Amino acid sequence: MSDKTVLYVEDNEFNRKIVRQLLAKTTYRLREAMDGEEGVASALATPPDLILMDIQLPKMSGLEATRHLRNDPRTAGVPIIVVTSFALSGDEQKATVAGATAYLAKPYSPRALLAKIRELVPEG
Amino acid sequence: MRFDRADPLAAVLLRSPLGALVRGVARIRTSVQHKLLVAFLLVTLLFIVMGAFSVQTIRRMSQHTDWLDEAHRRVDLSHQLQHSLAMQMHLTGMALLVRNEMALSSVLRENNRFNDTLARIEQQAPDAERQIIQKIRTAQEEAMTVVADIANLVRDGKIDAATELQLTREDPLYRSIDDLVRVVAQHEDERMASLRASIQSANRRSIVVMGAFAVVSVVLALVGGFVISWAFILPVRAADAFLSDVAAGKFAGVVEVPNRDEFGALATRLNETARELARLDAEQRLTADTLRALNLKLEQASQAKSAFLANMSHELRTPLNAILGFTEMILDDLYGDVPAELKEPLADIQTNGKHLLRLINDVLDLSKIEAGRMELSLGDYAAEDIVGTVRASLRSIADDKGVELVTEVEPNLPDAYGDAKRLTQCLLNLVGNALKFTHHGRVTVGVELQGGQLRYRVSDTGIGIPADKLDEVFAEFRQVDATTTRNFGGTGLGLSITKKFVEMHGGRIWVESELGKGSIFYFTIPLRVELAATA
Repeated sequence: MSDKTVLYVEDNEFNRKIVRQLLAKTTYRLREAMDGEEGVASALATPPDLILMDIQLPKMSGLEATRHLRNDPRTAGVPIIVVTSFALSGDEQKATVAGATAYLAKPYSPRALLAKIRELVPEG
Repeated sequence: MRFDRADPLAAVLLRSPLGALVRGVARIRTSVQHKLLVAFLLVTLLFIVMGAFSVQTIRRMSQHTDWLDEAHRRVDLSHQLQHSLAMQMHLTGMALLVRNEMALSSVLRENNRFNDTLARIEQQAPDAERQIIQKIRTAQEEAMTVVADIANLVRDGKIDAATELQLTREDPLYRSIDDLVRVVAQHEDERMASLRASIQSANRRSIVVMGAFAVVSVVLALVGGFVISWAFILPVRAADAFLSDVAAGKFAGVVEVPNRDEFGALATRLNETARELARLDAEQRLTADTLRALNLKLEQASQAKSAFLANMSHELRTPLNAILGFTEMILDDLYGDVPAELKEPLADIQTNGKHLLRLINDVLDLSKIEAGRMELSLGDYAAEDIVGTVRASLRSIADDKGVELVTEVEPNLPDAYGDAKRLTQCLLNLVGNALKFTHHGRVTVGVELQGGQLRYRVSDTGIGIPADKLDEVFAEFRQVDATTTRNFGGTGLGLSITKKFVEMHGGRIWVESELGKGSIFYFTIPLRVELAATA
């Protein structure tokens, strides 16, 4: 069984670094994208096993990107975890409506994030 | 609004000649009271004149009756003359038949009555009649002389000579007297007939004149009443039409009436009022426009503030995410074993980072609530689950402090309807506070149903709140004193946010406390929250 690919769409270098270092100790392979458009393009080119999507992104918001990916047959079945920033302002509902499989409020615990990823896509 | 444009009836009326009269009356420069007084006096005067005329007519008619009675009497007298004359002739004949001159004394009596009656007719008789009466009197005197002769002859027994005298002298004399008397009687009859005719025609004339007078009086009274009332009705109607325009918000009109009385003054006042209303209206519109523009600006500013807060919160959380993330990964030995002396400072970084996160969340919540942008997300929930979540979240803290955390949930609570997440937040705040201020003993979380409301209760055996500070605990950034915040942590916003969430649910929050013994916080939430109560 080959290793699972996780696509992380996030514009902040430090947050990407956290996930990079977090997943370095696992068998997950990480692909990174810096904005919504790049994320969608990357996901459509080679669909990953799971997408981690930040909500506030340059060029295209995480919600819009999620909607996009859900409407494309190539990525319609890929689980998407949306990282919401305004956990109290109804972003969760918006994320669910856009087609997110799960959501995680920022700031998230790396431990909880890893648990969520493992829950949706068990390590190969 | 002109006088004649008030309504179609008024327009038709004012085009007629009466219209000019109505305007004329309206223009008279005197008070309404005087106009009405004059109108009533004029009508009264007309009726007084008519009454006087009627009395006069009645008096004339009664005089006519007197005249007619008098004529009747004179006709009777002339008939008495005829009768008396016939008696004289009859008595003379009787005296001759019984051959007694004494019988002729009755003729003398009859003669006296005849003369008497004649004298009465002569009074007030016209000249022509008077001449005839004079002839009758002369003939009658002559007849009396003959009767005296006849009486002498009868006394002397010369009946034949007496009879002869009677036939040749007395009888022709009486016949001529009779003719004259008949003329007088006929005269009197004719006079009476002509008098009756003239009275009848005079009466007819009186009735016609009286009728005409009555008709004219009634017409004049009607016209007067009509004119005077329309002189008052028209301005009232014009004012009414004008006021209905004003009531409908049209202040531009003007009421124009020709009246120079109270109605004219009223129209002037109405116009002044309308001008003032128009001015106020324009002013108010201007103010409203200004306010609207200002409101729009404020709304935009408020939206900008909300957007700023949302962005700010995101911008604050992103680096915080990195700080907390790296700290956790270090503490999880992701980068290798952490030296023992670094564990405490790293835990401090984590604690302070989490405190900063709570502050950011609370400030964002409060600003949203105050901007009216916080919306409840209503759904079915079980109160038991809320208490369970709170217990699960805070049990480890309680255990660490050595404080007992007890739950008391009424069994078989029905399903509730509300914003479970917010209610959980409220209870977390209260229980978190209770744990913070309790060093030994227990914290109890309970919920029970009380008259259609869920009553949540958080009691502790902590330090308590002074009685004079009980009112302040729900205000922002108010802990009992500033050092409390430093000693016990917390943002100082939790109770204020809790209070607002409870109120948004249509509930109530309060606290009972005794210094040194502990506090009990209560809040009630309707079992089924109505959306309207969340405003």
